[in-house]
Amino acid sequence: MLDLILSQVANGLVLGGLYVLIAIGLSIIFGLLGIVNFAHGAFFAIGAYFALTLYNVAGWWAVIFAPILVGALGMVVERVLIHRLYDKEPLVSLIVTFALALMIEATIRLIWGGIGLPFNPPPLFAGFFIWGPVLITKYRTAVFMTTVLLLIGLWAFMRYTPFGRILRAGSRDPEMVGLLGINLPVLLTAVFGLGCAIAGIAGVLAAPLWTIIPSMSAGAIMPAFVVVTIGGLGSFPGAVIAGLLVGIVTTLTIQFWPEASGAVMYVFMALILLVRPRGLLGERWERFE
Amino acid sequence: MYDPTSAAPALGRRTLLAGAAALGAGSLAAPYVSRAHADEPIRIGLLLAKTGDIAPQTEYLANGTYLALAERDGKIGGKPVELVWLDEPSPQGAQQNFQKLAQENKVVAILGGALSSSALAEEATAANLKLPMVIDNAAATDITGKNCNKYTFRLNTPVAVQARMFAPYALNYGKKWYFLTASYAFGQDINKSFHELLAKAGGTVAGNDEVPLNTPDYSSFILKIRQAQPDVVLGGVPAGDLSTFLKQWNELGMRGKIPVCEIAIGDTDIWAVGPQAATGTYTSLWWYKNPANPPEEVKFTQDYQAKYGKPPADKAWMGWITARSLFESIEKAKSMEPLAIVEALENWRGGSADNPYLYRKEDHQFLLKNLVVQVKDKITDQWDYFDVKATVPEKTADLDALFGSPEANGCKMSSS
Repeated sequence: MLDLILSQVANGLVLGGLYVLIAIGLSIIFGLLGIVNFAHGAFFAIGAYFALTLYNVAGWWAVIFAPILVGALGMVVERVLIHRLYDKEPLVSLIVTFALALMIEATIRLIWGGIGLPFNPPPLFAGFFIWGPVLITKYRTAVFMTTVLLLIGLWAFMRYTPFGRILRAGSRDPEMVGLLGINLPVLLTAVFGLGCAIAGIAGVLAAPLWTIIPSMSAGAIMPAFVVVTIGGLGSFPGAVIAGLLVGIVTTLTIQFWPEASGAVMYVFMALILLVRPRGLLGERWERFE
Repeated sequence: MYDPTSAAPALGRRTLLAGAAALGAGSLAAPYVSRAHADEPIRIGLLLAKTGDIAPQTEYLANGTYLALAERDGKIGGKPVELVWLDEPSPQGAQQNFQKLAQENKVVAILGGALSSSALAEEATAANLKLPMVIDNAAATDITGKNCNKYTFRLNTPVAVQARMFAPYALNYGKKWYFLTASYAFGQDINKSFHELLAKAGGTVAGNDEVPLNTPDYSSFILKIRQAQPDVVLGGVPAGDLSTFLKQWNELGMRGKIPVCEIAIGDTDIWAVGPQAATGTYTSLWWYKNPANPPEEVKFTQDYQAKYGKPPADKAWMGWITARSLFESIEKAKSMEPLAIVEALENWRGGSADNPYLYRKEDHQFLLKNLVVQVKDKITDQWDYFDVKATVPEKTADLDALFGSPEANGCKMSSS
C-alpha cells in the first residue's frame, strides 16, 4: 500500500503541475488587472484547437505557434472588450467574461464541430519512467518540466525587468504610473495577452491527455479558480503551492475514496478559506476590500 | 380606468399563490393536446444536450433526425414539420424545457433524452403532461423498467440487457474484473448489472471505482488498475470521459496489456481517441460498415455521407430511426392526439427480415439485435475503427427472452 501511496503522491505532483499551468495565467490577469476572467478556460480550449489545426500544417511547431496566436487573440479581446471593465465592479467582469466563455465555446463548435478530435503525444515522449513504485510518463514529465521553466521565467520577468516592475506598480496605482509618462493601457493589453497565451500553453500541453471537445474549457476553469482561490487571489507563489496541493489531495482521494475525487478540491478550498480567508498567500487587495 | 389608489379589494399574495397553484395543478392533470391550427406546421420537439461531454453524441443524433425529416421533404401527411430543438442542461433544466416545448411551442411529440439522468426526469414529465416521447439515446434500465409509462418509448437497449448480451464476450478475457464506472445512473446501472453477472459466472472483483462525471484525469485510477492486475477493465464511463480514459490508458502504456470492455458506447467516443490510442471491445446498436445492414440503411449511410461529408456514427442512425418511427407513426395515426400517436408507435415495424425491430407494446422498449464490436489492431481509415465480432442474439426469436419480460423488468404500465 505504501508503494501505491508514494506512486499517487508523485502522480499528484505532476497533475498539480498541470493545474498550476492552467491557473497561473488566471492568477496573473487577476493579480495585475483585477479582472476575474471566467473565459480563461475558453482560451485554454482554443489553445488545444489551434495546436490541433496548426499541427496539420506545421507539425510540432504548432506547440509554439498556437499559444502565440492565443495570446494575440487575447490582446484583441482586451482592446475590444476587457479594457472597458477596469473601472467596473468585479461582478461585471465576471459576468462579461462568462458570456465571453460561452461565446468562444459556441464559436469553437461552429468552426471545429461538436465531436471530439484525436490528438496524441508526440512519439518522442511515448513511454514512461519507473523509479521504484513510481511510474510517470515521459509526456507528463515534459509537461511538468515545461511548467517549472515557465514559472521561473515568469518570476524573473516580473521581478527583474523594467516591464515587470511597471506592471506591478501599475496594478496597484495606475494613476501614478500614468503620471510618470508610461502608456499603461498598452501594457495592460500585453498582460491580458500574456495570461491568455499561458492558458493557450496549458491547452496545447493538455490536448494529448484530455479529449479535445468544445466543453473541455469547463474541465480547466474550475480547477483553475480553486487553485487561485486557495493560493490567494493574485499570488504567484500561492498558485504554485495550491496547484501542487490540489493535485496531491485529488490523487490520494482517488486511491481511498474515488467517488469523492471530483468534489474533494472544493472541500479542500472551503477548509483553507475557513482557516485563511485570503487563501494561503493572499495579500490585501485594495480594490476588493 | 385602473386606479392604483382605489379601495377596491386587492389581489392578495395568498390568493395569487393559490390561483397559480391551481392553474399549475390543472395543467399537470389534464392530458396535453396540441392546439395547432390547420395551417400551422406540425411541431415536434427535439430535447438533446447542446453542450457538455455528451454533445458530440447529440450532434449526430440531431443530424440523423434532420436527415429523416429531409427524406420526407420535411412533411408528414402533406403538412410541413418544424423541429424545435431545446437543450438538456441538467435533469431539472430538461424537465423545464420539456414543459416549454409542450406548452409554449405546442409540439405534438418529443424526441431526445441523451443522458439517462435527464431522460429519467423527462419521462416523468411526459407521463404528467401525457405527451408522447421517444428517447433515442439513454440506456438506464429503469426507463422502460420500473419507470415505464404509456407515453414514453425508448430505442437504446437497456443496460441490463446489453450486459447480458455482452458478458460472455468479456468473460472470454478472464473472470477477474476491475470496474470503472461513472457515479450516476448509467454507470451505476452498468456496475450493478455486471456485478450480478460476474458473480453468477464465479468471477472475482479486482477493484471497483466509481468515477465522477467529467473527470479530466484518469492517471490515478489507471495506476490502481495497474496495481490490481485484472483480466479485464469493465468500463461504464460515458462519451468524452471514455475518450479521455482511453487516451490516458495508452499514455500510461496499458493499451494491449489489459483488455478494456464497455457497453453502450458511441462511435464518436472512439473516433475522438485516435488510431494510436483506441482499443477495446464494446456493444453497439449499429455500425455503418456492418455487411448485414439492409438496403435502406445502406442508403441512409450514403445520404449521410453526401450531406455531412463523413460517415454516420451509430448515434446518427439512432436519431434517424427514432425520428422515422415517430414520423411514420404520426402519419399513420392521422391525428395529433397523444393516444393515437402512442398506439401507432406501438404498432410500428422496421428493419429487415433477418433483423426486424419494433417497440414492445407492454413496455415500449425497442427490441433490436446488438453488435459486439472490437477496435481493429491496425486502423488505416480515420472513421473505420471496428470489426463486428458478433450479432446478439443470433436468432430473432431469442430477442424477447433476452430483453426479459416487462413484469420481470419491473414495468407496470397503466392504460392511460
